[in-house]
Amino acid sequence: MSDFRLWHYDGVTAVRRSVELRRTGEGFALEEPESGWTGTPVDWRDLTVVSMEGEHSAYGHRAIPGWRMGFSGQAPQDIAAHLPKAERYGRWIDRFGFWRAAGVFMLVAGLVVWGALEAPGVIAPLVPRGWENRMGDAMVGDFGGRFCHTPAGDAALRALAGQIDPRHEAREIALANIPMVNAVTLPGGRIILFDGLVQQAKSSDEVAGVLGHELGHVRHRDTMTGLIRQLGLSVVLGGAGGNAGGYLNGVLSLSYGRGAESAADGVAIDQMREAKISPAATAAFFERLGGKEEGAEARAMSWLSSHPLSAERRRRFAAAVTPGATYRPALDPAQWQALRTACATDPKVAKFWDNPF
Amino acid sequence: MDQERIGGDGFAFEGNWRAYAPIAFTNLLLTIVTLGIYRFWATTRTRRYLWANTRFIDDRLEWTGTGKELFLGFLMVVVLIGIPFLFLQFGAQALVLQGHAGLASILTLAAFVTIFYMVGLARFRALRYRLSRTWWHGIRGGSDDQGFGYGISYMWKSAVGSLALGLMIPWSMMSLWNERWNKMSFGPHSFEAAGDHGPVFKRFLLFYLLPFIIIALVGVAAVWGGSGLRGMGSGGPTTGMVLAFMLVPLLAYILFGIITLAFYAKFFREAVEGLSLTGLNFHFHARTKDWFLLFLGDIALVIATLGIGSIFLQYRHWKFFVIHMGVTGEIYTDELTQSRTKVSRHGEGLLDALDVGAF
Repeated sequence: MSDFRLWHYDGVTAVRRSVELRRTGEGFALEEPESGWTGTPVDWRDLTVVSMEGEHSAYGHRAIPGWRMGFSGQAPQDIAAHLPKAERYGRWIDRFGFWRAAGVFMLVAGLVVWGALEAPGVIAPLVPRGWENRMGDAMVGDFGGRFCHTPAGDAALRALAGQIDPRHEAREIALANIPMVNAVTLPGGRIILFDGLVQQAKSSDEVAGVLGHELGHVRHRDTMTGLIRQLGLSVVLGGAGGNAGGYLNGVLSLSYGRGAESAADGVAIDQMREAKISPAATAAFFERLGGKEEGAEARAMSWLSSHPLSAERRRRFAAAVTPGATYRPALDPAQWQALRTACATDPKVAKFWDNPF
Repeated sequence: MDQERIGGDGFAFEGNWRAYAPIAFTNLLLTIVTLGIYRFWATTRTRRYLWANTRFIDDRLEWTGTGKELFLGFLMVVVLIGIPFLFLQFGAQALVLQGHAGLASILTLAAFVTIFYMVGLARFRALRYRLSRTWWHGIRGGSDDQGFGYGISYMWKSAVGSLALGLMIPWSMMSLWNERWNKMSFGPHSFEAAGDHGPVFKRFLLFYLLPFIIIALVGVAAVWGGSGLRGMGSGGPTTGMVLAFMLVPLLAYILFGIITLAFYAKFFREAVEGLSLTGLNFHFHARTKDWFLLFLGDIALVIATLGIGSIFLQYRHWKFFVIHMGVTGEIYTDELTQSRTKVSRHGEGLLDALDVGAF
């Protein structure tokens, strides 16, 4: 024990002292024999661990910042017994044991991830409709004056809505002057068909299919679920740091999820069967969108990117066609024409390219 | 007796990666199973190891920051910045949809300016936090400045720096470095930073040489591809030409990286050279080749270990920093008394959130 040498900083100046430890009642005092310097008495309980690196140990004082006492090697038994233990992984994990803590954390993490993915679907239906409506109105309003209105076009849209949505589950179905092959469901049960989709469609039956699909999102409140998921993920994944969380967040919030899309297709098929509209045109529409990605159909990509398209979805619509059933077109030729020309003939509608998004 | 004359390096690193490995691997495991929340405690464990194995003159450094501080700093950023920005993002989208694109762009611009300001503030506060948790001989560093003024400087100096084809960038970088360090102190003494941007400027001009090098490369590639055309007949030449023209962007990319390294190596040498603390003068010895080897090593390590090796990057960078640091002069330990600067309670949350480095 002869080579046990204590050094000390008092926290007031940077002078290094070679000290000896003299035991007093509940603690000790440090003394430097060379200069005759004596420190104030210290209670053993005031010691904290500053660092323990290999052979070097350093202790601090709970109440005096910068007060340090340290040594190399092993402390004599009578001193070592009083020294506090070092933290290794962190107080809780040390107390719990590394592997046990890791196991518990893993379990909790799994539950949190599962909850973050599942909870939005449970919470969304609990949000009062009034809140969702107001939120949607605040976010969207009149769409910047881009809704197309002509008397004949409005009548055609009403006729289409009346067949696909006879119970008025959607609060509003509108046509917007936006040249993208797309349709969106906004919070508050509002479906917006983009003019690009109407222009791209070969018949009113195709538009009916897309409308039925969006009605499915309204019925199952998928937009609200998506919003809550996005909010939740940004909080949960915020802890992960870096960009990985951001990317994952973006990818997950992009779509409603496979289950929601499939359920929305189911709603579309049901509504079309009720209205006696053939799902065959929608199947053909999917084939056109998915089949080739070049030429004029390339514009269809925006609908494709937000609604995962697969041969299976096309087959499902194709299989929904009842052989021998009598179908009628969703709109008569005059109505279909009125819908197709609504945006072009509405003199008051805001031009998409004048005020791009 | 209390005076220490310093020759040689002054700084030394006494750690080794085998001793650090258990820390790195357990940090990785705990960070994964806590969905990233442990990373604040992981950072603290790593720094405690790195600081404790860094010898400055006659004694080791101490890191006294805690994981809780870093975590609280992160939470503050989430509450004060993250949540408002989330609402702003939805709000701006809503405004655009309602046709108020002008208002939306003003809001977005305001958000951009705020973030820009925050980056400057974060750089300052991170340095202040790190100094206030770094102890040596029972004395710590710090700053009484809150950094709000530095945030403003950061904005206008960075903006001015990008004027005139970026010719003012060396000036703005050095000026900001000096401004930051001049507000820092250790014990009772203030750091003095008088880095000169003049010597750095010549290196910076290399960036303007790059376009000419690329044009020359394209020329060489064209000639090479052309000679292939004559030499190899009809089949080979296209491949040779395509290969040559694919190599040009790659080479340009690598060259840009090397010029950046060369510039930064010089910048960091000059910046540290201008830094002093009472009787101590700091030096940094790493040259472009050293930085180049560091990053080459980083890349090789990460690729060879399929990414897992990245847990050693912090260790490698700290070691590189310490072994190339030097200090000369005299220090009077009895005059080096305790710092009276305020200690902020929370860590570098802003820096963490905005992902910018302290040095």
